[in-house]
Amino acid sequence: MISRRALEIAAAVLTGIFGVVVVVSSLDNGIGWSSAGVDAGTFPFLTGIIIVLGSLYNLGQGALGRGTLAIVRVAVTPSELRRLAGLFVPAAIFVAVIPMVGMYLASAAYVFAVLALPRRRSVLSALVIAAATPLALYVVFERMFHVSLPHGALAAAFGF
Amino acid sequence: MKITSKLLLSTAAFMLAGALPADAAWQPQKPIEFVATAGPGGGTDNLARAVQSIITKYKLTDQPVVVVNKGGGSGAEGYVYGKASAGDPYKVIFGTSNAWQQPLVSKVAFNYTDLTPIAAMAQDEFLLWVKQDAPYKTASDFLKAAAATEFKMGGAQSKDTDEVLTRMIEKAAKVKFTYIPFKSGAEAAVQLAGGHIDAHVNNPSESLGQWRGSTQRPLCAFSPKRLPQGPKVTTSEGWSDVPTCVEQGLAISQYEQPRTVWLPGKVSPEQAAYYVDLMKKVQATPEWKEYIEKTSQVDTFLTGTAFDNFIKQDLEHVKQVAGEQGWLVK
Amino acid sequence: MENLESLLHGFTIAVTVPHLTLMVIGVLLGILVGVLPGLGAPNGVSLLLPLTFGMQPVSAIILLSSMYWGALFGGSVTSILFNIPGEPSSVATTFDGYPMARDGRPTTALATAFGSAAFGALVGVILITFLASWVAQVALAFGPPEYFAVYFLAFASFVGMGGAAPIKTVVALAIGFAIAAIGIDTVSGSVRLTMGIDELVKGVSFVVAVMGLFGIGELLIAVEEEFSARAVSSRVDWKEVFRALGRLPHHGIALLRSAAIGCWMGITPGGPTAASFMSYGIAKRFSRNGARFGTGEAEGIVAPETADHAAGTSALLPMLSLGIPGSATAAVMMGGLMIWGLNPGPMLFVDQKDFVWGLIASMYVGNIVAVALVLLTVPVFAALMRIPFAVIAPLIVIICVVGAYSVSNSYLDVVLMLGFGVVGYLFKKLHYPLAPLVLAIVIGDKAEDAFRQAMLMSKGSLGIFFANRLVTTLVLAGIALLLLPLALQIVRLLRKPDVSAQEKVRII
Repeated sequence: MISRRALEIAAAVLTGIFGVVVVVSSLDNGIGWSSAGVDAGTFPFLTGIIIVLGSLYNLGQGALGRGTLAIVRVAVTPSELRRLAGLFVPAAIFVAVIPMVGMYLASAAYVFAVLALPRRRSVLSALVIAAATPLALYVVFERMFHVSLPHGALAAAFGF
Repeated sequence: MKITSKLLLSTAAFMLAGALPADAAWQPQKPIEFVATAGPGGGTDNLARAVQSIITKYKLTDQPVVVVNKGGGSGAEGYVYGKASAGDPYKVIFGTSNAWQQPLVSKVAFNYTDLTPIAAMAQDEFLLWVKQDAPYKTASDFLKAAAATEFKMGGAQSKDTDEVLTRMIEKAAKVKFTYIPFKSGAEAAVQLAGGHIDAHVNNPSESLGQWRGSTQRPLCAFSPKRLPQGPKVTTSEGWSDVPTCVEQGLAISQYEQPRTVWLPGKVSPEQAAYYVDLMKKVQATPEWKEYIEKTSQVDTFLTGTAFDNFIKQDLEHVKQVAGEQGWLVK
Repeated sequence: MENLESLLHGFTIAVTVPHLTLMVIGVLLGILVGVLPGLGAPNGVSLLLPLTFGMQPVSAIILLSSMYWGALFGGSVTSILFNIPGEPSSVATTFDGYPMARDGRPTTALATAFGSAAFGALVGVILITFLASWVAQVALAFGPPEYFAVYFLAFASFVGMGGAAPIKTVVALAIGFAIAAIGIDTVSGSVRLTMGIDELVKGVSFVVAVMGLFGIGELLIAVEEEFSARAVSSRVDWKEVFRALGRLPHHGIALLRSAAIGCWMGITPGGPTAASFMSYGIAKRFSRNGARFGTGEAEGIVAPETADHAAGTSALLPMLSLGIPGSATAAVMMGGLMIWGLNPGPMLFVDQKDFVWGLIASMYVGNIVAVALVLLTVPVFAALMRIPFAVIAPLIVIICVVGAYSVSNSYLDVVLMLGFGVVGYLFKKLHYPLAPLVLAIVIGDKAEDAFRQAMLMSKGSLGIFFANRLVTTLVLAGIALLLLPLALQIVRLLRKPDVSAQEKVRII
């Protein structure tokens, strides 16, 4: 179970870190506003500062349990978390293996795994959808619009 | 994996050898990607697409040719992509002189030495343009007025060819401009037509329509001799009627932007030679002549040491201007 | 009425069997690339461009512009059905289109969107027909300070809406601006905010951001809520298509206002994206049903769609008459014009009368063909909502992954997209508004460029924003729109201090 308080704090910390990164890297570009115009780093610097200050405020509000969602105590219940992971983890694995096995193989395996393993669909129908997906991608992208999708290191090894 | 792929490639080449002329050293075996370091519609994109359509029309290769646009970061996206594809002879990068100019003035993660130069195929000229109803008839009138007040000069991008030329004019004529960078030359042209800036140094094709429509006119061309005689642009004048800047007392005899073609680094000399040959064949077609004429560019073909020398010369020159302006990245 | 005569002559060129056939092909192809996120009209145009070299210029441009119409219509489909906007200009359509489709009324949502889009486009074409020369003059009056003022106006009309916490809105907006600044800066030529990742020099593409924030983010929310779309009746419901079209006149004021906003933003540099956001913001503020916006209000679909298409259409005029393309697609078309030996610019209307008026006439006919074809496809697309969630979810993930990749053939974009998905989920869950973030990503850098160009011109003085009547009016209108909700709030508080709006508002 994840409490709303923890989630608020996590989000505020995340945006705050982004803000600090923006401030630090915009310092490289120079900050200033003179008769020679506005320097490249000026606006990113200001937005970075705004992000940091706003994140600190949101962090405080979140930690104190105040703000718009104060009544909601629990953000994600264990069963919700399971369902979220059930969608996100396979998707992340799918993205991670694309450089190795290529888009076509990865998408077929991903569809098959997501449909057949939790027994949402019969193995046969999962197989059909898993085969149709990369085929459709190939026809539309590679053939019709000449957009080449990643073939992966595996395919390169075989000279494609 | 590399070895396997080479092995397979050579086997494939061997099997196909019967169908090929005996002297063909290297032939592409899969689709070729043309990487335009400009957005759709830009000059570099137009070149890549013109070459693509000529190759397709004359079947200069059996493999399909695909154009991809990687114009992000003023073209840096395409060059970085080329650098990352080292050893891949199926990516041809189309760019300009910013392949060697950009790394001088901004912290981009590539240098032209990361790429294999193939050729410089066409050169774009530069002209000095003012609004149609501006009071100056000649470049010297314009420079006289510029000495009195600080003019606003527009151009495409910052610290790129347009601004380099602007700074060169400043130095040659001892005047001072406020340089305003826009996204493209076309945008600068519209800003001039609207009277928001005083001048720009667009290529002929970027302002051709504006000249015909009598919203702006060229004062002089940054070229050693007058531009070639073409069809008349306005009712009375054509490109050859525009005086050179030297004639007008502005001592910049030559300033051109080459359209360049590259392969990623670490490709074999045979692979590079194949593309040099391919570009030569493209250049010999009537469609290429037509493209050059329509876009008012100059036909050139620099390759090998001639191209290398050109790069070195240009680099020296830009280094000098950038150094004086304090643009060089540390 | 010289223009009318030219237009009639144009119709004789456009309405021929071969040209009508080209229109149908173009529109169908356009719908296809429009529906698939990641592929857009530019892909289709660049695919067709080499094929058109052998054609007459007017036939070629009819084919390409028909594809442009098809893609504009198709772009709304995924926005409405899956909350994935394929084009920046259809983001605002998701705000009410998606809730309506989820509510079991995808047919109504699609038909409403297409109907109002067609109306917007029609107004745009009429404007082009009768005010061509005037429009070209207006566009010339815009220099950097005026550009900035237009963007400011778009922000002002949109920010401050929605029920989110103000500080969270500010943070979301600022993050959007920072993301827009990533990459090479136009004004200084230097590399900004790449955070050590070399490839980020190209910047973060809008498509990558929205596919993560909206597409994946919404998918995560949906799976968490164990959402299943309300049963859509399996009957092909043609009657509902016509009923939805028949209800459009009820939104007459919204239609006219949105078309006006769209045309204005199309001929000024604002463009379709700013137009659709601005139109939505203003409709929400002035509509009787404003409070229910975001929950599937028809007017919340009408406003952005009408403005988007009115702007998309009228933006073609500055392209033809001045040579500045308003969008990537327009840029490819312009490249085509040049290859055919036509130079966009003020002389096109004089030199190439047949071409220009053939094109304008084809805009009328092409739009009618497009709307007819697209309405025919409504039941087909609506049927997609009947596919079980378990099957459609992985397919949406794949569409987003492929879409993010094909923007610039980059694996980094795919990883970024997934990251944006997590952010989208988190933000949605905690009521950080996504719309200001997206608006800032799309026009933040343009606004910044314009501001800094203006500062170069004025030597750092803000006085340039009050230097002439046009820019002063725009800036004052922006400030007024920014302050209006604040003033209304105060008035409301003074009147009845006890009634606080406890309605459940959808944070957008």
